[in-house]
Amino acid sequence: MGRWAKTIEMECNIPAIGIASSNIVHYATGYVDKYQTGMSIRWVSVPFPFTGQPKAVDVGYVEGKDMLTGQPLMSAVTKALTDPLTAAEKISGKPPEEAIEPRLLPADTEDNLRLLFDNKEWTDFNSIILPTEKLVMAMLKGTSHKPDEVVKTINITGGARQLTVEKVAINAVMAGASPEHFPVILALSTQAPFGNSTSSMANMVVINGPIRNKLNFNCGTNAMGPYNRSNAVVGRAFTLMSKTAGDLRNNVNAWETLGNTMQYNNNTYGENEEALPGGWEPLHVQMGFKASDNVVTVGTGWSSIASVGASQSIYPTQNLMRDYISSFCASGSAATVVMDPTVAGLLKDTHGFQTKEQLSEWFSQNVQKTAGSYWGNGVIQSTAVPFALQGLEPYASWRKLPDDALIKPFTNPRAIHVVVAGGKVQTMWFVTDFGFRKGVSIDDWA
Amino acid sequence: MKAQIFSGILVAGFLAVGFAGAPAASRANSRQANSASKDALPFPKAPRITAEDVEQMIKDGKGVVIVDTDDSESYAAEHIKGSVNIVYDPTTDASAEDQSLSALPGDKMLVFYCNCPHEEDSAPLVLEMQQLGYDPAKVKALQGGLTRWEQLHYPLAGSDVDKTAQTGQ
Repeated sequence: MGRWAKTIEMECNIPAIGIASSNIVHYATGYVDKYQTGMSIRWVSVPFPFTGQPKAVDVGYVEGKDMLTGQPLMSAVTKALTDPLTAAEKISGKPPEEAIEPRLLPADTEDNLRLLFDNKEWTDFNSIILPTEKLVMAMLKGTSHKPDEVVKTINITGGARQLTVEKVAINAVMAGASPEHFPVILALSTQAPFGNSTSSMANMVVINGPIRNKLNFNCGTNAMGPYNRSNAVVGRAFTLMSKTAGDLRNNVNAWETLGNTMQYNNNTYGENEEALPGGWEPLHVQMGFKASDNVVTVGTGWSSIASVGASQSIYPTQNLMRDYISSFCASGSAATVVMDPTVAGLLKDTHGFQTKEQLSEWFSQNVQKTAGSYWGNGVIQSTAVPFALQGLEPYASWRKLPDDALIKPFTNPRAIHVVVAGGKVQTMWFVTDFGFRKGVSIDDWA
Repeated sequence: MKAQIFSGILVAGFLAVGFAGAPAASRANSRQANSASKDALPFPKAPRITAEDVEQMIKDGKGVVIVDTDDSESYAAEHIKGSVNIVYDPTTDASAEDQSLSALPGDKMLVFYCNCPHEEDSAPLVLEMQQLGYDPAKVKALQGGLTRWEQLHYPLAGSDVDKTAQTGQ
């Protein structure tokens, strides 16, 4: 909003202000205002939240007081639009650049350096391995790529920043990884930073291909738990590089209201390819890679629901999965089911799903929720409502339905994924709302 | 006991790489990076489709969703009739639009267009759709964009179009 207000002022010469809830104003007048809008604009603020409130509450906000000045809100609007600019507000042009960090830190004690890394929010606040030149150089031996090669340019609030192979190596060292993990972490870095949304997102990282066994990624018992070094350090490296390369700092430019504990390790595990039922292809093969390729695939979502116990014969497993999936918002039709190999076998042999694709298609056809529940979700409001208002189907028709009408919101079976992991200890599964991007070749980064 | 001094610690964070001018530079770099020479097609890996083919698909009643990637003001003024708007800001990553992009239907042909000569702002979103797992055969950039559509006198909508119709110009 600040950007639009500034554009109206600068290009149309019309006084403009931003009106937003208090949390947004706090954000906008800080980091974003300085580095995104460049110059200050004036703000008037209402309480938060206003979405989801009865209209009477919102009317009360308009008839109430500006949260910033304490004046009646409409008076504050008039005043903000008409008061002469202050000296500070007359400053135009580019804001001064922040000091560029040196590549090397001055020598210091371990305690002081750890404190510095924490204060800069370069860590996840668990202990890191300090990235000495010697350790980073050793890490760089894990790839044929040059240290100054740019993996990607990340457009963050403060501008465009280059994530180089050396920067990734620094994060890999900090996470406790070894050089043999480095190609996996480099492939993963192409997907950094992870989601940063007030809605408190999380990620899932799945490793496929022979490298799972070579590096001893856990695909079996406790695949998703804290019982394996490769799973742990690769998942943690994604967090660290997301925070450092993405410049994510709490209450500065990371505003996830609850946060998400899954961000500590990003659900990193290997698919148990050896235990897939015949006809069920590994995730990377479904995405067009060869079985012999090594691939890392990143999913983004929010939530996970467990079966909480073994599959029962009185209610088919797929039906319980369907019921649980229906509680997700269906943003982008995305869902991912992670299941023990015994569940995969049950679904194939007892319930007839010959491929993962058949199961995804079945979910797409059978997961239902009420229109009211669908439209009641905030992410759906911000993504599907604009399409509904522009007449795009099925959203336009769904928008006209009564709240209790049932719809099938998982319209895209390609966005519903199935991953098999686990140690055949129990017929257990998770359903999640994670949506996967296309996998990334690890071999390209060796 | 004397604390051990660590030296040669490399910096993990990224502060200030040309903050103020960065977005514009990023836009320019992004376009240059995807264009090997002045005449090369930007984002060559993004499949294209001609306006004639799109128009024929619409006439044949085949499911086509057309996506305008220009800013909302330009879209309101003029757009391909029946298109929906997803604003693409080339100064940010295409993935910033993932939530909106992934709400597009997976069972229809999706055609992205921009008001730019070589699909500079529509092709990146086509590539992003591939990353999101959409069938590459069903997501394409409109060759020549809005300009080509106008040249062929295919249906348009928007406030400027309505004004022209009213004044008969």
